[in-house]
Amino acid sequence: MVCQNEKVSVAQPARDTHNREDDAWVLIPLFNEGQVIHGVVSDLTSRFSHILCVDDGSSDDSASIARAAGATVLRHPINLGQGAALQTGFDYLLTRTEATHVITFDADGQHRLADALEMLELARRKKLSVVFGSRFLDKRTKPGFKKRAVLKVAVLLTRAITGLRLTDAHNGLRVLSREALGHIRLQQNGMSHATEIVHQLAVAKLSWIEHPVEVLYTDYSRRKGQSLLNSINILIDLMVR
Amino acid sequence: MLSQWIIAIALGAVGIYLLKARRTASHQAIRRLFIVVALIAGFVAVIFPNYTTVVAGFLGIGRGADLLLYSFVVFALFYVVHQYRRQLWQEKLTTDLARALTLAQADIEDLKDFGKN
Repeated sequence: MVCQNEKVSVAQPARDTHNREDDAWVLIPLFNEGQVIHGVVSDLTSRFSHILCVDDGSSDDSASIARAAGATVLRHPINLGQGAALQTGFDYLLTRTEATHVITFDADGQHRLADALEMLELARRKKLSVVFGSRFLDKRTKPGFKKRAVLKVAVLLTRAITGLRLTDAHNGLRVLSREALGHIRLQQNGMSHATEIVHQLAVAKLSWIEHPVEVLYTDYSRRKGQSLLNSINILIDLMVR
Repeated sequence: MLSQWIIAIALGAVGIYLLKARRTASHQAIRRLFIVVALIAGFVAVIFPNYTTVVAGFLGIGRGADLLLYSFVVFALFYVVHQYRRQLWQEKLTTDLARALTLAQADIEDLKDFGKN
């Protein structure tokens, strides 16, 4: 995919490219994040050569903004859901790139570049298939009482379904090796994919670890939280297939 | 009572269908068979209304109207579950189609860029 590399470097001519990651791709599911996506992508391009945004049928100009900021952008013709966007990205990376690792990253700016780099380094050094980000391994993240309760229920549910003893089930920041991608086939288009990923990785018996990360809650990202009742949806989604 | 067993088993079968149904020809055949049987039973019930009461009495339900009501509830539930599964299947097809389109579009754009450089 020579043309892919050229596209990125043309978009970022002035950057110092010596320190940039070439083998790991950052995958960002994108849906109506026009306000923040430019900052997120341009921050990542300082350390990563390849940013892949999968625009999930946004009605705003998220896709063109992401492209201008230096990302490769795929566009769903219609809105399918975050899980579907991730799977499209996985398919693209497996069939059209040589990526050794993929880092899934949220578009709303709640993850830190430094955490992503640490997790990637950990995956490489310990030859792990999967590194999950967890906001509950240290005290940095302040989710607030209600959000903490919602996330804890999701964690218990994920443990019950998958048998993996994770401390944070719905964290969008993960590092997956190319081998791990081969074991993932997300059927859940909506938000149940976070539990589904864990389930499929558990079935494949891949090596994994959790790494403490900080989730930056802005008013913007806080507004989009999930409700407690959604745990019921996840349970039904994963049972009925 | 016989009727309680039958209804409980029927509801259990609907639940299993919700969780385990597969798109196979035999499942389709069973559904079609059910429709034919229901049509014939309905026809008989219209022509000979007292038969429903006879059957209801045999099952321990009492009135023919109650037998019709119970059968209707079970069939309606099954129909809801079946439509739900169909919808899931349709969503999967739509997703596969949209994904194929997205990847094809990406390939076209790569080719265009390749032509320029």
